[in-house]
Amino acid sequence: MLISSLILGALHAMVPLTITATGEILSERAGVVNIGLEGILLISAFAAVVGAEAGGPLAGLMVGLLTGALLGLIHGIIAVYFRGDQTVSGVGLNILALGVVAIGIVDRWGAAGFHRVERAFRVPPLSTPLGPMSPMVIVTILLAALTWYLLQHTNLGLKIQACGENPAAADAAGVRVERVRLFGAVYAGALTGIAGAYLSIDWLATITENLPAGRGFIALATVVFSRLNPWLAVLGGLIFGFFDSLGLVASTSQALTRVIPYQFIQMMPYVVTLLVVAGVIGRFRAPAASGQPYRRE
Amino acid sequence: MPDRSAPPAGAADQYKPVSVLAGAPPWLEMRGITKVYPDGTRALENVDLVVAKGEIHGLLGENGAGKSTLMKILSGILPLTSGRILLGGREVSLRSTHDALAHGIGMVHQHFSLVPTFNALDNIILGRGALLASPARAAARARIRRLMEETGLHVPLDIPVEQLPVGTQQRIEILKTLDRNVDLLILDEPTAALTPQETDQLFTVLRGLAARGTTIILITHKLREVLALTSAVTVLRHGRVVGSRLTEGATAQDLARMMVGTERMPDVKARREHQKSEPVLRVAGLTVKGDGGQDVVKNVSFEINAGEIFAIAGVTGNGQSELIEALAGLRPIARGRVYLLGQPINGKSPRELYRMGIAHVPEDRHRLGMVAQFSVLENSILGVHHEPRFRRGVPGTIHWGKVRRYARDIVRRFQVVTPSLSTPMRSLSGGNQQKLVVGRELSKSPSLVIAGQPTRGLDVAATAAIRDLLVDIRNEGKAVLLVSADLDEVLALADRIAVMYEGEIMAILQKDQFDRERIGLLMGGVRDGSAAG
Ligand SMILES: Nc1ncnc2c1ncn2[C@@H]1O[C@H](COP(=O)(O)OP(=O)(O)OP(=O)(O)O)[C@@H](O)[C@H]1O
Ligand SMILES: [Mg+2]
Repeated sequence: MLISSLILGALHAMVPLTITATGEILSERAGVVNIGLEGILLISAFAAVVGAEAGGPLAGLMVGLLTGALLGLIHGIIAVYFRGDQTVSGVGLNILALGVVAIGIVDRWGAAGFHRVERAFRVPPLSTPLGPMSPMVIVTILLAALTWYLLQHTNLGLKIQACGENPAAADAAGVRVERVRLFGAVYAGALTGIAGAYLSIDWLATITENLPAGRGFIALATVVFSRLNPWLAVLGGLIFGFFDSLGLVASTSQALTRVIPYQFIQMMPYVVTLLVVAGVIGRFRAPAASGQPYRRE
Repeated sequence: MPDRSAPPAGAADQYKPVSVLAGAPPWLEMRGITKVYPDGTRALENVDLVVAKGEIHGLLGENGAGKSTLMKILSGILPLTSGRILLGGREVSLRSTHDALAHGIGMVHQHFSLVPTFNALDNIILGRGALLASPARAAARARIRRLMEETGLHVPLDIPVEQLPVGTQQRIEILKTLDRNVDLLILDEPTAALTPQETDQLFTVLRGLAARGTTIILITHKLREVLALTSAVTVLRHGRVVGSRLTEGATAQDLARMMVGTERMPDVKARREHQKSEPVLRVAGLTVKGDGGQDVVKNVSFEINAGEIFAIAGVTGNGQSELIEALAGLRPIARGRVYLLGQPINGKSPRELYRMGIAHVPEDRHRLGMVAQFSVLENSILGVHHEPRFRRGVPGTIHWGKVRRYARDIVRRFQVVTPSLSTPMRSLSGGNQQKLVVGRELSKSPSLVIAGQPTRGLDVAATAAIRDLLVDIRNEGKAVLLVSADLDEVLALADRIAVMYEGEIMAILQKDQFDRERIGLLMGGVRDGSAAG
């Protein structure tokens, strides 16, 4: 019972981390780094609830995706065409999200800071031998596979990697660097949007002012862990997700919370993230031109 | 052993020079091209260039004349400030490389534009094919094998290009563009890192292409190449057209005069005779591994004496790059011993070697010799920035006033053309970047200078200046190790020549044994009438 809920918990906690990380992997490969994922998660989680309450869970997912794509597009335009600072733009998204969603919840539902999503508007679970499981777990694997395929086995993937490593060389080969990078930014935004929708209209079935609770940043850690390989993002998502759900399970166990304070258990996913990233970082060679704007002259 | 120097007969022989100057209709017209870079540099001023279909047109000019800029505009890499470009009488807008390629215009870049982490195959197929289709590697591999046979430019297809020597990267860059089957082929100093044989074969291929209607624009500083290949030339000086003329009937002297405005073809400075003196560098049984882990320098031994220029000749890619990298501390020594003035140098870092008296002008100056985003000022003290003479009292500080004086001195002595000391290095023309790096290394007053292709890409005047400098250094009693792909340079400068082939030294020749043909054969692996290896 405990085992199966731990496994399901890990899988469910993996979904937002891996989907978000997978999108960001493609974007960073193309040369655009977005540290505003947390903000995109939050805004699209909110938008997805609005969409789902208007047209059902599928509409909610679509609205989440489109919202994320739009935010990714804005970040992409700032990074690619205005050659703005990608860190500043990302931080901007995070701050924007906090304000927009806090006001949005009050404006829409009249309640401050919290709104519960009714079952009818949630993504219906599949029943499995372990218990009810979100179909988004499968979608996550499919998205990782799709991203891996795009990067490793298509002409587009070659272009993406070239734009991240040496945009001048890509340019000379006739690759339209701006478009490829913009695609990367939108792709990351769209996937993060799906992950945001999953948070609100599936897994957590609620929308709050700080729904992602740092998962956008853990997703960035997952990107580092993955060395920009989508399959490793699945593994990383599972590891971080496991500790996340262990925290959830443990903090509800009376036996445990009597020995270890509840707050320490809640800290676990973040501490594990720090440790893993500290262990991995430095041994990986990121794309040479990632995060840098491209100028021709 | 096939004779690599004789061009195969065939299509090439059918090439008839065509030129607008000889009455052919214009096909490519660049009219009134002006280019002002964002930093205000006026690189081109009202330049006209007219070329006929199937013409091989030479574009000449000193370093910084604006040749690369003009061709980058034509290949869509750079936007023009004003002017028009017409193809077959119709105005075209070339706002990206993508546009240019769609109009059949392709360029071999002076500073290779390859993705360092990709292998040759992926670099060649980059940007092509349907977006979501898998890269057509198998078909491309077969096609490029054929192209390599046809052109004589052989490269490994599966090794990341960052691990390949400059000469190989140059070949990849050429293959990449040839494989696109463009109608207008632009080559910006394509032979700078090729051997004479490869150059000959490339020219045969180019003549064949032109005979079949491809239009070719060639930028080169080697006047012999211009005379051998082109139908007509256009000469630029300081961003303006000096003139265009038919190649037929022109001599190297004529072209040089148009370029520099003087008739003098500079000679190498007189060398002073020395008594046979102390060995400065002693290399005993040196073996060095390549990036693939195989031995690329095999059990090599030689000595370099004070007051001599010891040159290593050879087809690029026969271990010369790895040899000098090992001597400069940039690559581990697998076996053997190396002594500088009697001190073993195995395992020393580049900085320790520099302190012991080795200066190194790297072959791949773009990667190892400079930081493109840094200013000329900062680049001129790279590697010596930590020295007390640049300090403001305590270690770790830099006295920019002193640095400025030092940099200004290098810029003046080596005739680096730059708007200011604070100009970023990447804004300098290729040749001026090289002058700065060479100047910086030679200013370190070392006891051994390792110079890898020190004049590659330099114009006539700058080449002469740097050759004179190397002779000066020699005359001062210092040792010079010169690695050069330019046989004329080796013959003009060296006191002794070692010929490298597949990692071995085939022979070390004394001055009285210098013989172009014999060296050519040794470079091709033929020792005393029999093939080696
Ligand atoms: N990105 C840039 N920004 C500003 N100025 C530049 C830039 N690139 C080149 N220039 C300047 O434009 C002029 C022409 O440079 P260009 O590279 O076209 O010369 P070149 O004829 O190709 O010389 P070389 O034979 O040395 O390659 C030079 O004065 C150079 O300093
Ligand atoms: Mg140039």
